[in-house]
Amino acid sequence: MICLGNFSAEIEIMKKLLLKKQIDAFRRKVAKTEHPRELVIDLLREIQDRNGWVSDEGVELAAQILGVTPIEVEEVATFYDKIYRQPVGRYPIHICDSICCWSRGGEEIANHLQQQLEIKLGETTTDGLFTLLPTCCLGGCGRAPSMMIGRRFYGNLSLAELDRIIEQLREEAKG
Amino acid sequence: MPTLTIDNRTVTVAEGASVLDAAVELGIVVPHYCYHQALGAVGACRQCAVTILEGSQKGLKMSCLVTAEDGMQVSTCDEESRSFRAQVGEWLMTNHPHDCPVCDEGGECQLQEMTIGSGHGIRRYRGNKRTHTNQDLGPFITQEMNRCIQCYRCVRAYKDYCGGEDFGVMGSRQRVFFGRFKEGPLESDFSGNLIDFCPTGVFTDKTSRFKTRYWDLQQAPSICPHCSLGCATLPGGRYQQLQRVRSGSNRLTNDSFICDRARFGSDWANHPQRPREARIDGEKAEFSVVLSQLEERLQSLVDTYGGETLRLLGSPRASFEANLLLKKLAVRFGAPTPCYDAHPRRAFAARAAGSIPSGQLASLQQLRASDLVLVAGVDPLAEAPVLALALRQVVRAGGRVVVLDPRPVELPCEFEHHSLTQEALLRGLSAPEENELLESLRQQLEAAHHPVLVGGGDLLGGAGLLLLRRFSESCCGDSDCLIFPVLHGPNSYGGGLLEEPGERQRDLLEDLENGKVRALICLEADPAIEHPDPGRMQLALARLDLLAVFDHLPTHSVAAANIFLPTRTLFECGGTYVNNEGRMQAFAPVIEPGIPLEVSGGGGHPLRQFDSGVPGSAPHSAIHLLQQLLKDRQDLFGLRRQIVEEIPCLRDLDRLEAGDSGRRMADCGESLEESRLEIWAQEGELRLLPVMARYGGDQYSRLSQPLASRLQQPCLWIHPLEAAERGFGEGQRVVLRTAVGHFRLSLSCKEKMVRGRVMLPCLPGTPLEVFTPGGLSIPCQLYAEDDNA
Ligand code: SF4
Ligand code: SF4
Ligand code: FES
Ligand code: FES
Repeated sequence: MICLGNFSAEIEIMKKLLLKKQIDAFRRKVAKTEHPRELVIDLLREIQDRNGWVSDEGVELAAQILGVTPIEVEEVATFYDKIYRQPVGRYPIHICDSICCWSRGGEEIANHLQQQLEIKLGETTTDGLFTLLPTCCLGGCGRAPSMMIGRRFYGNLSLAELDRIIEQLREEAKG
Repeated sequence: MPTLTIDNRTVTVAEGASVLDAAVELGIVVPHYCYHQALGAVGACRQCAVTILEGSQKGLKMSCLVTAEDGMQVSTCDEESRSFRAQVGEWLMTNHPHDCPVCDEGGECQLQEMTIGSGHGIRRYRGNKRTHTNQDLGPFITQEMNRCIQCYRCVRAYKDYCGGEDFGVMGSRQRVFFGRFKEGPLESDFSGNLIDFCPTGVFTDKTSRFKTRYWDLQQAPSICPHCSLGCATLPGGRYQQLQRVRSGSNRLTNDSFICDRARFGSDWANHPQRPREARIDGEKAEFSVVLSQLEERLQSLVDTYGGETLRLLGSPRASFEANLLLKKLAVRFGAPTPCYDAHPRRAFAARAAGSIPSGQLASLQQLRASDLVLVAGVDPLAEAPVLALALRQVVRAGGRVVVLDPRPVELPCEFEHHSLTQEALLRGLSAPEENELLESLRQQLEAAHHPVLVGGGDLLGGAGLLLLRRFSESCCGDSDCLIFPVLHGPNSYGGGLLEEPGERQRDLLEDLENGKVRALICLEADPAIEHPDPGRMQLALARLDLLAVFDHLPTHSVAAANIFLPTRTLFECGGTYVNNEGRMQAFAPVIEPGIPLEVSGGGGHPLRQFDSGVPGSAPHSAIHLLQQLLKDRQDLFGLRRQIVEEIPCLRDLDRLEAGDSGRRMADCGESLEESRLEIWAQEGELRLLPVMARYGGDQYSRLSQPLASRLQQPCLWIHPLEAAERGFGEGQRVVLRTAVGHFRLSLSCKEKMVRGRVMLPCLPGTPLEVFTPGGLSIPCQLYAEDDNA
């Protein structure tokens, strides 16, 4: 736990991870919830939105706010692959590798992205913009092949469409 | 009771038993991993498939999940279930490394056995195996995560059953990882059970790593000597060295779990300072010479001064048989009946427990099934660790646990703690109807379905246990309120039975001090620190003409003895212990006595010295030694049979076998009258209560190297408000003044303990050993260290 006596260091770490008003809001919610651990995903997401990923300190902070042990938070945090326990690029790309997408060209999509971004699955581009991650079914089988970038879903992908999306994100990052 | 047929063989099983249980009953091996008798079934591994031919659900099913039904027809040999199991076996092995030759589990591995049992042999998978980075989990357990088959038994044992909070399962799919959030020593007091519960070599015993292959290991069923519960154990060793302890299985007591104190605390048997040679006045001598000298000196003493001048002291560490033979030795020399605990109050508590009719005593199994347990004066994790596990099972099943105790009791479950002083607790029990708390608890116990009272002999004393018995009788509603007394040694109860009936609490020290006693024989006892007033005791011992000690630990009394005879440890001889609920349980020899090769060879090549005997193998068992003095030539079995003839209430003793579930003693008929409560003046505003330390509080733990990192460090517990009133805080260095001397200690603030007291975890082998738990609080004073300088 981070609350090992060194109080000011602890506050510093907390401030980096979440704003005080965010922490307070969660503490209020916890007080009103019968099973505070229900809030673990919300809290981890909030930490992730602010920091880009969830560090060990982030897990410990969440545990402290929820009044559970760090391992209990970690069990959830590591179960979901949309919670990042390692730093990722600004745009984490989850490419679906499940059956419907596979039958409609999912592999091609994955290969194309790897070529265009010059990284392998699991890696991040040197400019820190993109991370490529395989994922299981995104629930958009009707619009296969599909992928998710951040929290946004993209379906019916073609190679041209892919290039356009990547380009657009590069522009967005510049501006 | 359903009767079903499996592979054309019929069996009748208990209501609610699974098809897998029924197969086990028939000796039919259905491979399985995630199912464990103590943890139940979760259907995670899919290995236990069978085909149900007749029954309410037909077809391929997981046998651990299907309840046995009357008239059910089951097949394990049909092609469908056979090939299913073989496929599951192959699939579970895809990621498993082929490292059996370097795996400590090899030879006793459920995965090895049951993979072969599943019919899978040749792996077809040629891809990469998933690999993990292991964690350092501290001094007890090695993790080798690549060997995991995701059966989840470890988390279910560590977290669900034992209540450990620092272990869990992380990741998903191929990446599932069982461990801690960050590296570091496992915190649970029951962490070692991971070793027994993991069916593969993921968690193995670090303390015995690479010492002995399973097929070379000498093992025998035994009983844990570390507290009074008498948990079943399975120690193993080789080359005269005790190398490891596993949990035995006894559903009536510990089920399949033991505490870390037991598992990692057996190294005392290998201790380099263990006295192994007979001595006369400090000089080594032949065993037989010493024995005949002893006999001569005793005889001449008795002839000259009379049997009254000889005293004998048995102990809760010694086997029941040895203690009983000691009593015969007393008769032979015309000496008074031996004392069975150097601590008079503890001896009396054992007698009080023994006077409770057997029908009113609870077993741990009954306790686990209780819906309301009142714990009066016990700190389970310190005094009887597996009791804490049983209490957790009560809470897991929806029951409640209420603790009345002055100490900052911790348990691996939710419970209600009422913190009150020892005196208040005893006064309350002496007139429960006038005590609001006890009266309300009485009503709740009366309304409960299976109420149990747990009482601590150390805190309550014999008088308190008798009061507790009276209280329990007033709590019986529709069902009886059973009692679970906690004593302090593995054979305390047995010793209590052998004490002189009728008499009040006896104090050996008074006898020694009145000057009439000239000789004392100590059987595996160290009165020099076990008596509550060790200073006076040591003086009294020094005045004796003859102090004869039989022991296997390097104790003060051994050092002071005129005649010393080494004895075997429980790992080297057979015997019986009687546990806290009057259960007689036999233990069998595991290894031969002698200096362990690792000690004599200093880690290198064994001594190049040729001799017919094993060095250090002089010790005889205490039983044998006493038999020689008594000219008794029977073997252990004959001895037990003779005991049964002489003492009818021990009637099942000769039917015991090591590894069975033991037998409850019948009532021996001593009825102790409620005695006057020890009333004492509450002098001084602050009093000191010596208490049992969780690790290092018993003589065995402190001599066991693997436990070193867990040993309690000397400190003084105080309530934070009590400390603040004196201007002290956590960690403050203080001087504690008592009648037996003053001690420099640091304070440790405990919010949950009672006020008006300081408490000292007792540590034999340190300067604090002058304090022994089991007594009443004593006056004391506290000063800041520098004020006193
Ligand atoms: S570590 Fe052992 S007990 Fe735990 S899931 Fe893996 S194989 Fe099963
Ligand atoms: S609870 Fe007591 S008897 Fe049981 S294993 Fe632990 S120390 Fe041994
Ligand atoms: S298979 Fe890709 S979204 Fe379902
Ligand atoms: S033992 Fe039945 S599924 Fe694992």
